[in-house]
Amino acid sequence: MRNHPRDADLERHLDAWAASQAEVELSPEIQRNVQAILKRSLTPVKPLPSHGRLVLAFLAVFAVGAAGLIAIMNQAGAHLMTEAQIAGMVAILACGGILFSLLIAWQMVPGSRQGLPLSLVLALSGCGVFGGIAVLFPWRTSHAFVSEGWPCALMEVMIAVPAAAVFWLLARSGALFGGAGVGAALGGLAVVLALAVLQFQCMFQQAPHLLAWHGGTAAILIGLGALIGEVTPVYLRAGRYAGKAT
Amino acid sequence: MSETPLDDRELRALMTQYQRADPPAVEELVRRISPPLLRYFGASRVDRNDAEDLLQDCWIRIHRSRHTYRASEPVMPWIYAIARHTRLDAYRKRRRMESREVLVAALEERFHQSVPKAAPEPDAIEHLVASLPESQREVIVMLKVSGMSLEEVAKATSSTVGAVKQKAHRAYATLRRALGKDREK
Repeated sequence: MRNHPRDADLERHLDAWAASQAEVELSPEIQRNVQAILKRSLTPVKPLPSHGRLVLAFLAVFAVGAAGLIAIMNQAGAHLMTEAQIAGMVAILACGGILFSLLIAWQMVPGSRQGLPLSLVLALSGCGVFGGIAVLFPWRTSHAFVSEGWPCALMEVMIAVPAAAVFWLLARSGALFGGAGVGAALGGLAVVLALAVLQFQCMFQQAPHLLAWHGGTAAILIGLGALIGEVTPVYLRAGRYAGKAT
Repeated sequence: MSETPLDDRELRALMTQYQRADPPAVEELVRRISPPLLRYFGASRVDRNDAEDLLQDCWIRIHRSRHTYRASEPVMPWIYAIARHTRLDAYRKRRRMESREVLVAALEERFHQSVPKAAPEPDAIEHLVASLPESQREVIVMLKVSGMSLEEVAKATSSTVGAVKQKAHRAYATLRRALGKDREK
């Protein structure tokens, strides 16, 4: 950063500017006011569990939710898939679940070291799901592409929306300031859960159907999650102690 | 008002006491952390009153989020991450309000066009920093005004050290060019 010959001059300007900012003094009245507000609602709080335990909590809900729904619903898709297809899709969706759980746990704690940026998690998950389907499933399509597809899309929405609500309830014990990032991460985890359930339930195990109706709906739902996260007012994103602070 | 230097070990102990609802710890934290926070908000293109409002809003958010602090982590990146979101939310709110006013867009454009023409007077650098893209300006403010390390800025901005370095490098290049142009005039 400081290798350029003109940087010494720039550093001098920046240091002078930083020093001028340091002259700003806090009025005692403001300080007393802040102290009074905080002391008025001061109650002991239990610190959040470690990052690893948060991730495990999300993964446990994800696994129990997916396994429970697969067990309850019909498993026509499981009988139509080969062992390689089942193993491949389970591995891809499990990785997606782990990545989105990590992402949400990072977003719950301000100032956490972000191991992977959201864009990378979205890209990896997208490549995994779309690439996996394209490689593992046959490229056949039927004449009833639309009439076979929309019930799957509807089912995905019906699973993903309540799942996202459950994940949000878990995540809001943290401090969710992330906006679109949090919305996309919560939407991503819910969508991966819905994809896992649909994969075992769907009778149309062909690449065009899975890409368009399962993958396409997943992408739209994640985008919708990001949008909802962005427009959700701050007070809804605040943690469980929000009511006690003011 | 005298300002006590920020020692991370002491701040961690105070934060732990704060989580246990210890009133003197709250007073001490507010006394120590408020001045650097006010400087951070003051360097964000807002006037003194707005900076003080942001400071109070930030403390309420810190209070609401105090359970998310972990004693194993440094305090200031956690504080600045909350401060950053306070500032961004206020900025978005202001933008929404401004977008309802007819002439604001034109005025802002005129302001930004006028920035590079500023002479290298003592406050010129402030205008040049203010004209940087939001993400670059934020990094410069945290590094120079708040005196944070690259690692701390990366944590506070939910980013990586590499990304912070890149933003700082771009900001320096822009500022260097702008200062060079000023000299040539």
